[in-house]
Amino acid sequence: MSTITTEKPRFTIKEPKLLSDRVGWLRDYFFQGVNRKWNNEYTSWTTGTPWDFQYNELSFYIVPETYFYIPTFRSSFKQTAKPVALHQDFWKWSLPERRAWFLKAVIVDYLPKEILPGDLLAGARFNVMISHCLTERETKEYDSLIYGKNGSRAAMLWFHNHGYGNAGATSGHIVPGYAQVIEKGWIAINADLKKYYEALSESDKKGSKGGQLRAMQTASTMARDLAKKYHKLLAEMAEKESEPARRIELKTMAANMARVPWEPARNFWEAVQSLWITHMLVMADENYPGPGVSFGRIDQYLFPLWESSLKNGMEREFGKEILKCFWVHCNTAYDAMIHTGGNQGITAGYGQLITLSGVGAAGFDMTNDLTYAMLEVIDEMTPILEPKPNLRLHRGTPEQLMDKVVEMIASSQGAPFLLNFDERSMAGMMLEARKTGVEHLINSTNVHEYAPVGCLENTMVGNDRSGTVDDNLNLLKAVELTMTGGYDMNPVVDALTGKPAKLTLDGADTGSPETFTTWEQVWQAYVVQTKHIIKRSVKLYEKSEAIRARFFQTPYLSCLVKGCAASGNDINQGGAELNFVTVEAVTYASTVDSLLAVKYLVYDKKVCTLKELIAALRENWSGHEKLQAIAVNKTPKYGRDDDVADRMAKQVMDLWTEEVWKYKTSSTNRQFRPGMLSWNYWISYSNILAASPDGRARGKFLSNAICPSNGADIKGPTANVNSVGKVMGGKALDGKGDWGEYFNVLPNGGSHTITFNPSIMRDPEHRDKFKAFLRGYIENGGSALQINMLNVDLLRDAQKHPEDYRHLLVRVTGYNAYFTTIGKELQDEIITRESHQMC
Amino acid sequence: MPETTAPVTGTILHLQRLSTEDGPGIRTTVFYKGCPLKCAWCHNPESLLLKPQVQWIGNRCISCDSCLETCDRHSLEKTANGIKRDRTRCITCGKCVQACPTGAMEMLGEDITVIDLANELVKDRAFFEKSNGGVTLSGGEPSLQPAFTLALIKALKDRGLSIALDTSGLCPPDTLEKLIDNVDIILFDLKLINELEHEQWTGVSNKHILANLLIAKERVQSSQNNKKLWVRTPLIPQATDHRENIEGIGEYLAQHMRGSVERWELCAFNNLCRDKYARLEKEWVFAETPLMSAGDLARIEMWAKDSGFDPERIFVTGAIRIDN
Repeated sequence: MSTITTEKPRFTIKEPKLLSDRVGWLRDYFFQGVNRKWNNEYTSWTTGTPWDFQYNELSFYIVPETYFYIPTFRSSFKQTAKPVALHQDFWKWSLPERRAWFLKAVIVDYLPKEILPGDLLAGARFNVMISHCLTERETKEYDSLIYGKNGSRAAMLWFHNHGYGNAGATSGHIVPGYAQVIEKGWIAINADLKKYYEALSESDKKGSKGGQLRAMQTASTMARDLAKKYHKLLAEMAEKESEPARRIELKTMAANMARVPWEPARNFWEAVQSLWITHMLVMADENYPGPGVSFGRIDQYLFPLWESSLKNGMEREFGKEILKCFWVHCNTAYDAMIHTGGNQGITAGYGQLITLSGVGAAGFDMTNDLTYAMLEVIDEMTPILEPKPNLRLHRGTPEQLMDKVVEMIASSQGAPFLLNFDERSMAGMMLEARKTGVEHLINSTNVHEYAPVGCLENTMVGNDRSGTVDDNLNLLKAVELTMTGGYDMNPVVDALTGKPAKLTLDGADTGSPETFTTWEQVWQAYVVQTKHIIKRSVKLYEKSEAIRARFFQTPYLSCLVKGCAASGNDINQGGAELNFVTVEAVTYASTVDSLLAVKYLVYDKKVCTLKELIAALRENWSGHEKLQAIAVNKTPKYGRDDDVADRMAKQVMDLWTEEVWKYKTSSTNRQFRPGMLSWNYWISYSNILAASPDGRARGKFLSNAICPSNGADIKGPTANVNSVGKVMGGKALDGKGDWGEYFNVLPNGGSHTITFNPSIMRDPEHRDKFKAFLRGYIENGGSALQINMLNVDLLRDAQKHPEDYRHLLVRVTGYNAYFTTIGKELQDEIITRESHQMC
Repeated sequence: MPETTAPVTGTILHLQRLSTEDGPGIRTTVFYKGCPLKCAWCHNPESLLLKPQVQWIGNRCISCDSCLETCDRHSLEKTANGIKRDRTRCITCGKCVQACPTGAMEMLGEDITVIDLANELVKDRAFFEKSNGGVTLSGGEPSLQPAFTLALIKALKDRGLSIALDTSGLCPPDTLEKLIDNVDIILFDLKLINELEHEQWTGVSNKHILANLLIAKERVQSSQNNKKLWVRTPLIPQATDHRENIEGIGEYLAQHMRGSVERWELCAFNNLCRDKYARLEKEWVFAETPLMSAGDLARIEMWAKDSGFDPERIFVTGAIRIDN
């Protein structure tokens, strides 16, 4: 064996392929990042009043990494804001009217209109920070609700610093009603809004409903007026264009913009154009690029026009070319903070999710030619960040699609898409309907129309806001409070002064645990503490929800969500037909394993007393290494298909999910529902949460979403899958589940990641086995799976030679990142995570 | 039917779930303890002895001395090279394994009842069904524990699972017949065709193995339910990978097995077991042997395909050397 270190990468990295000059150029241009002449960086806009501000911090309460920068963001956007000349009546209008008018003015009259070379879609700039449009008095009220002693920010920081988790009313995470815009045009929405407005009583017209509906009417013409501007630009460009083919393209684009999105789209090009303009303005309306604003079943609602355009002579490859331009446009969301941070602004997990394939009415599979065309686009564009694809699998998924799926996974570093599992997912949606009495909106005739948002969070489409990332709760905190009788295990140390805080009874008073003589007493205390932390978490959420409902309406988005027009309420005021807030439980496996460890160590095997265990935790296992080793290595764990351990896991699951259903927001009447997605919190909270009985020391990573703890799944992927399926509810023995025989206690779904060694797909015979593994997952597994296909040697090589691996894409909880751009800590974590060997 | 007699138990090493290399589809492989052959290259040296053994895994040890303190036979000693075991004193009572907090002391081999094992094996049924997979009994040598194996096969059949028997082929003919009659797939190892070489490398003659292979053919051909027979040959550098052996096996299969072999698998040498030998305080003559190259495998595949055995039924598997 040679010892020479080669300069060339030893492994093949997935590269884009078959790209036309046009798309190749656009894609390369995007990846030039800050070196680009053109970008879609935030521009900031003000009413010109001294109290004005733009930055909406509520949306970032769920991103602990940004807490430190919140004051800076607010002041820097304010400082760079450019004034907008206000309408003479501006300050007489209601707040939503002011916001609708202001955004429209910025988008239509102030933002530059540009077309990149060769681009087939118009609609370039949309990342804006617009004024909150508040009066001085409103600003004072707003600020006191944010900055006051009991304000949202202090409450949020306390919650975070003490390791409970975080919560905040966050934008996006929704599938707007895009299909109806393509089919009927904004003109239909505008007409509906007029009808609703006219139907109001005179007093309602003067009240908040009237204001909201007038605001929505203003918003509903924004896309039309922007399209007119682009039409003019494109017509001028066509005039000047000397290259005949491009000239025809520009002329067609000009014609497209003369029509859509105001009028119904008549062909595929118009449809994609209509979709893009409509979508990018949602991101503008929320002042936040791409936070899970998702497209839903794009291969279904675009299919009729795809088919008719192909019939009318559109080349299939040209159709794909339009889609590839769409892909590039989605990525420009990342330009928002392109000059902030070291990674070209790619600081947050965006997630403009598209849904492909899946089951339809009466159980038929809905895969079509556009599904395949989009998979080809993904294959040819990968690696690329947006839009994120989520592919729905079910028992009836055709072999041809399975083959394509496995082929794409085999040729990529990780699956270039997330997989969603229909039967399990739909069972969760049916449960949600039954639990909350919305069977008229979600039932067996339409539940197949569901689509995930962001990464894997299941919602209905065009009428549903489920706040899927808004409330993130560390279940493990309840174990800590159980072990202390309601106090923090270790005092929170002030970052500035270094002083430890006084320990106070923040949790429920469950008494001194030293007095517990039976496991049952420990469990009962855990039950009380779990209920307590859930209550605290929904109370915290209420603070930002109430502020957002009052001060931050998004009338444009509200036009695209069924229920808002009819109720005269903004989507941020609970206007959608379906209104949920999802509590995403974090640290699930760490919690289950900790409870299993307490039971094993103290009560079953009597390795130590509870008092000794608590002392070890307080001292972060220091001086208790033997006990820690037993806790890590000898205690039962979730994720091994061990029925006894998994029964505890199910108990934990049932307890917290049932508790969550008891709550609604008081300001907007939104129902809380359970889910499991932990983004990167299992890292962020690893230093905050005290040592845990499962043997984890403070600073060591917590468990991720519904996955077993790191390294715990020693029985391999099938055991891991079986455990996940069991705790989500398994199947009914009598066949009568919530969907077929399936149960799912997490309507939002649970994020499940498994890392495989690439040798699993080394030849056709093994690829068949992998297909069978996925079919087995449909039977036994959870609602969503992300497949990582990593090679430890490759990752180590990439760590040593980052310059050779710039394109190496890794996925973490549905969040993809370039491996060489993430911190060493996380790189190490990915490397040490067990890579399942199938041979 | 209630169990009226004491439950049948057997000694196994471990289970490998999502196994993709031991027969068709996705399988759970049961590794038995105990083997009548002593192949010099054995990849599972911990399976050779029928009785349980204890091994020490150095990188898991935190030097807490729990094992030393608990051993009342004083068979353990702390040395510069880690914990040494005096195997003449050790009675494999397992106390050190229980006392060890990290799993550094590991028991190789556990006694398990047929019912417990069958209940464990049924857990991946969905994956078996989707892949036409099932359970593979491997080892070690399943036929060394015939009563246990037959009871296990029955329990698995009762649960509707497909069963493969992976055998060295060395066992009493009537045991083999009974086993073959009750399983769906037979994976039959044929390592060396020359009797002297076979004896040299495995410690036993291949006379009985070849005779049993003919029995396997006969049972497979007379069975009603599409029983399958796969022959497997490990490719071991300087031992089994020479031309005469590969061609000889191929010719033998072509002449004597007359189409009863659905597949002949040639499995490339792999060195992942190197540390196992060190842990068992054994020397391994192949410790420094590198993996085979793609070229080596291609050459062997050619010999096999020219041997007279149906080339369509020849499969070469295993890891190949990656040269920098």
